[in-house]
Amino acid sequence: MWNESRRRFLYQSLTGVGGIALMDLLRAEANPLAARQPHHPAKAKSVIFLSMLGGVSHMDTFDPKPALTKFDNTVMDWSKEKATDQANLFAKPRLILGSPFKFQKHGQCGRDVSELFPHLATCVDDMAFVRSIQTENGNHPAAVFLMNTGWTMPGKPSVGAWVTYGLGTGNQNLPGFVVLPDFRSITFSGSQQWGSGFLPASFQGTMLRWKGDPIQNLTPPQEVTPHMQRQEMDLLRAYNQQHLEAHFTNPDLQARIDAYELAYRMQSEVPGVLDIAQETEATRTMYGLNDPVTESFGRRCLMARKLVEKGVRFVQIYTPSQSWDSHTELERRHRQNALETDQPIAALIQDLKRRGLLDSTLLVWMGEFGRTPDCPADLRDKAGRDHNTRAMTIWMAGGGVNAGTIAGATDELGFKAVEDIYRMRDVHATVLHLMGLNDLRLTYHHAGRNWRLTDTGGQVIRQVV
Amino acid sequence: MRDWRTLWAAVLALPALGEVAGNEAIYRERLAPLLAAHCASCHTGAAPQGGLAMTGLAGLLTGGKHGPAIAPGSAAASLVVQYARGEKNPKMPLGGSLPDSVVAALAAAIDAMKPIPNAARDAHAEWLFSKVKAPAASKPSIDAFVRARLEAKGLSPAPPASRRALIRRVYFDLIGLPPPPEEVDRFLKDESPNAYEQLVDRLLADPRYGERWARHWLDLVRFAESDGFAIDSERPTAWRYRDYVIRAFNSDKPYDLFVKEQIAGDEVNDKRAGDDRAERLVALGFLRMGTWEADANFKTQLRQDFLNEITGTTGSVFLGLTIGCARCHDHKYDPIPQRDFYRLQAFFAATRIDDRPAGFTKSEDPAGAGKRLLRRLEDEAEEAAEQFKKLEEKLKQKYSEARNLKPGDKSAADYQKALKDKKDPVYTEEERRQWAESRDRSRRLGELPARHRPLAYAVSDVTPPHVPAVADTYVLAGGELANKGEKVEPGFLSCVTGDSGPAKIPFAGGSSGRRLALAEWIASADNPLTARVMVNRIWQHHFGEGLVRTPSDFGRNGERPSHPELLDWLAAQLVEKKWSLKALHKLMLTSNTYRQSSEHPLTKKYAEIDPNNQLLWRMNWLRLESEAVRDTILSISGQLEKSGGGPGVFLDVASDVAEGFEFFKWFPSPPKEQNRRTIYTFQRRSVVMPMMEVFDAANMAESCARRNVTTVAPQAFTLLNSDFTRRAARHFAERVTEMAGPDRDRRIDYAFRLALARSPSADEAARARGADLERLGVVLFNLNEFIYVE
Repeated sequence: MWNESRRRFLYQSLTGVGGIALMDLLRAEANPLAARQPHHPAKAKSVIFLSMLGGVSHMDTFDPKPALTKFDNTVMDWSKEKATDQANLFAKPRLILGSPFKFQKHGQCGRDVSELFPHLATCVDDMAFVRSIQTENGNHPAAVFLMNTGWTMPGKPSVGAWVTYGLGTGNQNLPGFVVLPDFRSITFSGSQQWGSGFLPASFQGTMLRWKGDPIQNLTPPQEVTPHMQRQEMDLLRAYNQQHLEAHFTNPDLQARIDAYELAYRMQSEVPGVLDIAQETEATRTMYGLNDPVTESFGRRCLMARKLVEKGVRFVQIYTPSQSWDSHTELERRHRQNALETDQPIAALIQDLKRRGLLDSTLLVWMGEFGRTPDCPADLRDKAGRDHNTRAMTIWMAGGGVNAGTIAGATDELGFKAVEDIYRMRDVHATVLHLMGLNDLRLTYHHAGRNWRLTDTGGQVIRQVV
Repeated sequence: MRDWRTLWAAVLALPALGEVAGNEAIYRERLAPLLAAHCASCHTGAAPQGGLAMTGLAGLLTGGKHGPAIAPGSAAASLVVQYARGEKNPKMPLGGSLPDSVVAALAAAIDAMKPIPNAARDAHAEWLFSKVKAPAASKPSIDAFVRARLEAKGLSPAPPASRRALIRRVYFDLIGLPPPPEEVDRFLKDESPNAYEQLVDRLLADPRYGERWARHWLDLVRFAESDGFAIDSERPTAWRYRDYVIRAFNSDKPYDLFVKEQIAGDEVNDKRAGDDRAERLVALGFLRMGTWEADANFKTQLRQDFLNEITGTTGSVFLGLTIGCARCHDHKYDPIPQRDFYRLQAFFAATRIDDRPAGFTKSEDPAGAGKRLLRRLEDEAEEAAEQFKKLEEKLKQKYSEARNLKPGDKSAADYQKALKDKKDPVYTEEERRQWAESRDRSRRLGELPARHRPLAYAVSDVTPPHVPAVADTYVLAGGELANKGEKVEPGFLSCVTGDSGPAKIPFAGGSSGRRLALAEWIASADNPLTARVMVNRIWQHHFGEGLVRTPSDFGRNGERPSHPELLDWLAAQLVEKKWSLKALHKLMLTSNTYRQSSEHPLTKKYAEIDPNNQLLWRMNWLRLESEAVRDTILSISGQLEKSGGGPGVFLDVASDVAEGFEFFKWFPSPPKEQNRRTIYTFQRRSVVMPMMEVFDAANMAESCARRNVTTVAPQAFTLLNSDFTRRAARHFAERVTEMAGPDRDRRIDYAFRLALARSPSADEAARARGADLERLGVVLFNLNEFIYVE
């Protein structure tokens, strides 16, 4: 459909141009992933989403709340929160829980970072924090959908699909939108989280694996020798070419021949891009590839850098599904997750920086919601925190963000964002803005109306751009 | 790129914005001061009188419990003016009255505003919402209508398609599979004048027709066999709805009856429906097919989401209108007030989800073996569960002994951790394997009985005496549950009936009769939308594009029909032929318009006059859909299993697609069963088959009226390298060898005829000689000619 309307416009605007030239043009235009001009000068060319599934506790990471220690073990009063979205959770008495982690100020900007992130603490001058994100749904799947699509229900295009739809991609031998999940546990609803919804399927995320074929069926089964494959491709080309000559008026036929050529090129390019054997030992160590704890996330961070370097538009890295979720044993769970991700993410920032890529690569670190200052009284000895849609801290780095800055604030206990409150659609609007896209103008006509990623909302977070 | 998108956005956005902006200014300058002086003391604040908050123009348009306070452009129709003039009681402001000059100023300001677009009834709306009138033509036919428009532009149709192209086209179109070489030969040799007509008849009578066309309908009704969201629970008997749709197409169930059964199968009283009540309960599955967040926190919101979803889907599927847009506000483009959305929703006010007992019908279970099968499956499940339990007890015992636990020590439950931890020395590798195997067996067999229980995945009504009264329906301002406005009764679209009062509800035994009222209104020959929308859908699948190219949006924002008279004539034909879809198919398929070539000698010239072929000067190409691609490869490689119906089959999928889910495990069916047609594969919302996904299958989240057609590299990977293709190529080679004998050239010839319904050219045959049959098979599956049907 996308191709259709596109072609329609071209025909209308080019009436009078000779047939053959027109067909050539259509062919070039038939590639939905061709790089396109942004709406306004872009600060970032690529995005890397670092998706912390499960919900990171803001008051234990980047939003210190000394009051929690002061009121530790006292009763938290929820009575004023009538319209809670988690009525069952808050029906029982609850006790405030002090943070088990120590905070220190870091960098020239003097940013508070807990002991969980010793590596990231060295990068704070490259990061911009927002401590006042509110989300809409306290259920993991709906909240992850919100994070990815701006909607709490399935079926809408993901932010990566929107960006790729808006800008195409910089390398025609690679997918424009790459997803790097943790195969120990993929997020709820799997590929729907990076789907293209009503946008054409060309814009959906392509999942890459770091073991075996990085793309499903990228290479033929082992019994098919390179000679056999070449034979097949030659025969296919010859037959398709003859067919095309007899039916040259159908531009789709050429587009499909081109897609096969791209597939052929991807077969050789993709493994090369992902081959980390080419990296120095120092780089490998820096990303933590030699340590089983950091290997999974580290390898994918390194893949992300290599993909971005090659012009891939959008990369999304996930922690395992619900990994940060810490209803009990907050300390152990958060330590484990921080351990797995801290060093690799810091390495990614530094590596991009030394290669001069940080300015054009936007990093967005966030989960699906924040966590509560308290826990149910009967589970006090398990020391966990529950889901909190009222406050979450996120950070962005590179890609032209206002590094070293901070926006928004939560109340004394970190229960609720109280200053400069932003929502997920504002985060999306900000990402689009930095990519040179105007969220009001990035529209797609579907089911009787024009749709936007930010729908009826969306305001750029001014402090970070 | 940027230009066209901007332009597109601008074209759509400007008029609406302009109107709003103009009204906004009039509101600010003329209306707001009057309202502030005379009305604001009661109609502002946290609890405004009558629910009407006069804050901003939006507040007035949203209105209070009596509806919008103003109707821009019409003071006479505006409540504010009616109350101020005392035309409505009580006269406003309460206990007083406004000076005439103020009332006049108020009225003048409202009259000066531009009507909101939906209030206006343009020529398109006039046509769309008026009863279908068969156009006056001396000899009406598809070809006559098409030719008239072509001639007006000085164009002529393409020559007839070759017989080979035609048989391939009509095979894929009607049954979704290629013609076997023998059938092609027979057709090419048949010189009788009605050879083609007979071919069409044969294919329409072929049970594979239903398997093909049911898929189009399943796209539309967002069919899936699981809930979606986190838990994504299986809907174990949803397959019965799929089979119902297949049977409906195969038996040529009159379309009006098909509609009625899906909306009100439990209430319908139609002689044609036969006496099989179970069949009609299964049909109600239509109302259940949306996603369902089983663990939602707000149950009232979940209920409202359900009601919104079926109201919107009913509107788009049967009426071709984006009614869902009117949930939060009056429709921005079509004359559908927000009130009408909730009046329609009120037809479902008593509807609740319900798995209803419905014994298997004769067509579902011809041998009457259902009960026995269920008992056997239950026994097997029980036995497997028992066995697993015993094994677990044994393993638990071992754990307690190894850890020296006292009887009753709760940490004995940790044996599972030890089983999952490969480093734990308590268990041997063999024990771990046994445990996993027994657990999986128990889970797999445990799933089976539910799929064979005689239940319909349906709905029922909650009515008195079980409740004091059917639940009330309110207009919800902004679509928010918390903002209850006017209470409404069930009622039909006022833009069609001209009546915004309540509908007459028929008596329906123990049910409310509400859905029946709606179903009968939709399925009536007098409804201007129903027949047009369905005729257009059928046309779209035969010709590649609808006469209206936005098949679920006939409204102002959709595309205009390319041949309105033809559309109306076909709609009238559908009703005249007693809603027979097969009659409609035949009408379309036997037209010259359908039988013309997809190549026109003057393509270059014509492409500039009518680039999108809206006038139908040639036939459109068909890119095979995902199901047709898979079914075709299975079919020509001789693997296709023809058995039909019953619970879905689970395909082998890569571990990263099917694993990692917390609430279910994916157990592939036996290999032979997996070779059934794709329509019989299990449709789990969170496990999308990669091959289906890359070839643009419907995404199951919402109604899909028209699939995307994309061309991306992963399609090539799938068709070149997947196990599926490679296995098919081996079977293909074997089959060709068996059928064509030892001669190499005859083999090549047969391979081409299987895949492309033609023999190779001398050049093609020469090239093919260099490759073995398996290579040739892979190449044929990947050809443009294979996947694009002329």
